[in-house]
Amino acid sequence: MKKLLTTLVVSGLLATSINAAQTDHRSVLMKDMRTMLEAMEQIQRGGLYSSTDDMKAGVKKLQGTLKSLESDDVKWILPKDQKYAYQFAQKTASMLHLYSSDMVTSIDAGRMDDALEDYSQLLKQCTSCHIRIRNW
Amino acid sequence: MERRNFLKVVAATATVIAVSPSFIRGNLYASDGTLYRAYEKTQLIGADGKPILASKLETEVNYIFNYPYASTPCLLVNLPKPTATDVELTSESGEKYIWKSGVGKNRTIVAYVAICTHQMTHPTPSDSFIMYVPEKTKTIAYETSGIIVCSSHMSAFDVHAGAKVLGGAATQPLAAVVLEHAADDTLWAVGILGSDKFQDYFKSFKPELKQFYNGPAEAKKLVSISAKTVKLTEFSKELIQY
Repeated sequence: MKKLLTTLVVSGLLATSINAAQTDHRSVLMKDMRTMLEAMEQIQRGGLYSSTDDMKAGVKKLQGTLKSLESDDVKWILPKDQKYAYQFAQKTASMLHLYSSDMVTSIDAGRMDDALEDYSQLLKQCTSCHIRIRNW
Repeated sequence: MERRNFLKVVAATATVIAVSPSFIRGNLYASDGTLYRAYEKTQLIGADGKPILASKLETEVNYIFNYPYASTPCLLVNLPKPTATDVELTSESGEKYIWKSGVGKNRTIVAYVAICTHQMTHPTPSDSFIMYVPEKTKTIAYETSGIIVCSSHMSAFDVHAGAKVLGGAATQPLAAVVLEHAADDTLWAVGILGSDKFQDYFKSFKPELKQFYNGPAEAKKLVSISAKTVKLTEFSKELIQY
């Protein structure tokens, strides 16, 4: 009886902690997504108001959010039916990294057309992932 | 020129083009529904520099070569059964064209541009989300396998019928590589059939082309003489297929 009770308590604690970990990962993702949106808005504002500082600050903010998508933690934060597609999310994150880094290079070289093209590619990556993961 | 001579010239030209489409240069929007662009006739060779022989290709294995540009990847597959013939296809803009068939002894060898017509997913040295899925391998993109699947947004293409769209987000077939199978069993790429997305590809993936091909100028170089053909597993570090 004592053994059974111990097993039940341990299982209960384990389930609670797994659930808590999942909730924690999801809340991190939700926070990151909100920050990503802010970063994209900042880059766009910078582009429209010719503020390269704003654009670069947006890139920095964006790249700061990619850690959870690039790592294997992404498995925890995707919807259950999309968990298998974690490599697609990781690929999207690496493309976001690539285009945003290229944007900084383009800004520094004074190639604003290229920088704005990078912005549209960033936006495309965002929508591409949302189409897939959120089943648009 | 006399009428009779003129007709002779026309007939001779038509015969040459019918025998080998690689003689055509430029876009061809013919009234019979053909949409074809010829590039330099290029021999498919292995990593060892020796010609790829049609009879030596493994069945249902994804091979890859870059054509017609140094950075545009194409899939080559030897299918387990013969392809369809004279398949009518429609491009996104409504142009109709005819995909003749696979090549080789049993019409089983096909090649398609491996740039998905939806959002241009393509194989890179890092990974590949687009590939031929063998008949016994399951995919969630379509009810049967033995097709090409782009696992980014789950587009499925009929590898036996000019890469016609079977399902998913893509709205037009993959562009096909027109192959010639020579009498000595060698394989040659001679042109691209269908609506390609090469210019969009160069524009969209500029940073990636810098990373893998030393910049857009190198990436846009036309392939000449021969194209190195390797297994997709040797080209991409990781293959992702759902």
